[in-house]
Amino acid sequence: MRITNNRTQHESAKTRKHEKEDFAFRGFVVSWFRVCRWRRQQKGTLSAALAVVAAFGFFVVAGCNRGGNATTSDRKPRIALVLKTLNSPFFNDMQRGAQDAASRLDVDLVVQAADREIDVERQMQIIENLLQTGVKALCLTPSGSREVVPAVVKANRANIPVVIVDTRLDKMAADEAGAKIVSFIGSDNYEGGRIAAKFIVDISRATNGKANVAVLEGIPGHETGDSRLRGFKDGIKDTPGIRIVASQPANWERDQGFNVFQNMLQAHPEIDLLFACNDMMALGAIEAIRAAGKTGSIRVVGFDAVDDARKAIRDGTMLGSVAQFPDEMGRLAVENAVHAIKSEPFDADAKVRIELITKENVK
Amino acid sequence: MTPWLRGAGRRFGTVAGLIGLCLLLWILTPHFLTVANALNVMEQTSINAIVAVGMTFVIISGGIDLSVGSLVALSGVVLASTLKSGWPVPLAMAAGLGVGAATGLINGLVIAFGRLPPFIMTLGMMSVARGAALLMTDGRPISGFDAGFRSIATGRVLGVPAPIVLTLAIYAVAHFVLSRTRFGRYVYGIGGNEEATRLSGVNVRFHKTMVYVVSGVTSAIAAVLLTARLNTAQPIAGIMYELDAIAAVVIGGTSLSGGEGNLGGTLIGALTMGVLRNGLNLLGVSSFLQQLVIGVVIIVAVLVDVLVKEKRA
Repeated sequence: MRITNNRTQHESAKTRKHEKEDFAFRGFVVSWFRVCRWRRQQKGTLSAALAVVAAFGFFVVAGCNRGGNATTSDRKPRIALVLKTLNSPFFNDMQRGAQDAASRLDVDLVVQAADREIDVERQMQIIENLLQTGVKALCLTPSGSREVVPAVVKANRANIPVVIVDTRLDKMAADEAGAKIVSFIGSDNYEGGRIAAKFIVDISRATNGKANVAVLEGIPGHETGDSRLRGFKDGIKDTPGIRIVASQPANWERDQGFNVFQNMLQAHPEIDLLFACNDMMALGAIEAIRAAGKTGSIRVVGFDAVDDARKAIRDGTMLGSVAQFPDEMGRLAVENAVHAIKSEPFDADAKVRIELITKENVK
Repeated sequence: MTPWLRGAGRRFGTVAGLIGLCLLLWILTPHFLTVANALNVMEQTSINAIVAVGMTFVIISGGIDLSVGSLVALSGVVLASTLKSGWPVPLAMAAGLGVGAATGLINGLVIAFGRLPPFIMTLGMMSVARGAALLMTDGRPISGFDAGFRSIATGRVLGVPAPIVLTLAIYAVAHFVLSRTRFGRYVYGIGGNEEATRLSGVNVRFHKTMVYVVSGVTSAIAAVLLTARLNTAQPIAGIMYELDAIAAVVIGGTSLSGGEGNLGGTLIGALTMGVLRNGLNLLGVSSFLQQLVIGVVIIVAVLVDVLVKEKRA
């Protein structure tokens, strides 16, 4: 016990400079003593062991958690960025852009996301939880355009300005619930779909304006995917040679893109062009094309121009991808959130640029 | 130690784990121990807690139900589409609950009379129900209900959010059924020693079937709540709910081999998971680390449970 005490003093002296670690450490020490007391009373029962686990778990968590922690919230205003997911390069880029803006503007940014992009319920829980921590503004990429509306209303009630990024709230649902946002930041997905369509019309001149197109859709009912698809369909409408022979959702995911496209190829061997509503699905499909030995004979056009897609464009396995600039979205979101906190004027409906990346302009 | 004391001791252990967790969070963040956040956690826990009620019945009877998440989706879209086609709220809710009960009945009948292992049957049903939900809706969410229906999730009863009241009411009823009725005793009997229960004249097949009906109904109740909360029924809702429910049950000290456990433990288990997730959000912990921590807590909680049991046996 003496050794433990000495260590405690020694350790806390060492960490006094680093308030965060110290805080976590104190938390651990206090809970450890509690655990010891428990152990004495309970003689190694379930309770003690559970408490030890809990203590250990939080020690690890608090220890690892250097950035954006409750202890620093007193000084800088704290902004929450809730993404759809963190296991997608698109949202990683957005996070990076937001983080850069946050450090430049000297605000504390907390970034959280559900494990799966489709888990709206979980996203809503995250928002509710973060609202409890006294964040000054909320930036949000809705996992569901209608589903998150109640969470936005909760933020409104707490007088926390909401910036929506990438995917719009459903207008009807938002109006009905009286949900208010201060800013929307995103690119025009409908226009992006049209750009992809125009590119396909152009490259199909080589095949007499004919193409048998397969489409990989995002999660059904998502505003983003629906707009891209609508733009794409409108864009090819006037070119009768371009036919959509198959169109199926692959839920934005790489492995599903692989499977769904493999099945499509079984059913429609005549497919010679693929439009995927995001790059992850396109990249999955490229693997399926490789597996079928059809590399080069099926042209692939994606959306988002993520790093892997740019590489595929350089390699020639993908012809083009419509680039969005998620890092710019993240940056603008944080900037607007800060403006809103300080009640400064800002461009509430900021459109982020969009462009087609092909072999000619890929970097 | 008498069985009653042992039960109390174990329940006490789970409670202590939860209290320890809360203490830690209270030390680590000033935002944790507020009335608003406490209500927040309980509200968020309610859906998992309700699904876990049925799961507790099933697991005590020695089975497993993997179809609950898909049932939440299926009941939800049935409820939503009947609401949308103008059915009055009580009737639409009855339709949703009816679908849950019917699907549970099919699970139970095939398991009890067809002697299919519960794991296989409910694994199949997980896919069947999900497929049915997707077919019914063409993969698209159904949304936009009137405020009367939504008040199931948004309303308050004496200042307490309605989902919390509903959850507690369900636990009270289910606890009564499990501990004070013949059916409840038979559920323990079937899980403890099915053959002995059958030889003592209990209609094992019937009661086994009913266990899955209970699970179907609680999933459907969770679906009502989820639909009202999100103002939407999604055919892809409820993915992985089965695992959350199983986790809540086993953290609560119910044995996966059947024959023992209780609902109080399950409620504590569900709350533990809710508090853990809430706390990790409040602390601003990376989402990836959150998954890791939750996994570790589940494993260790059950490991400790097993070790304690061995020691006492």
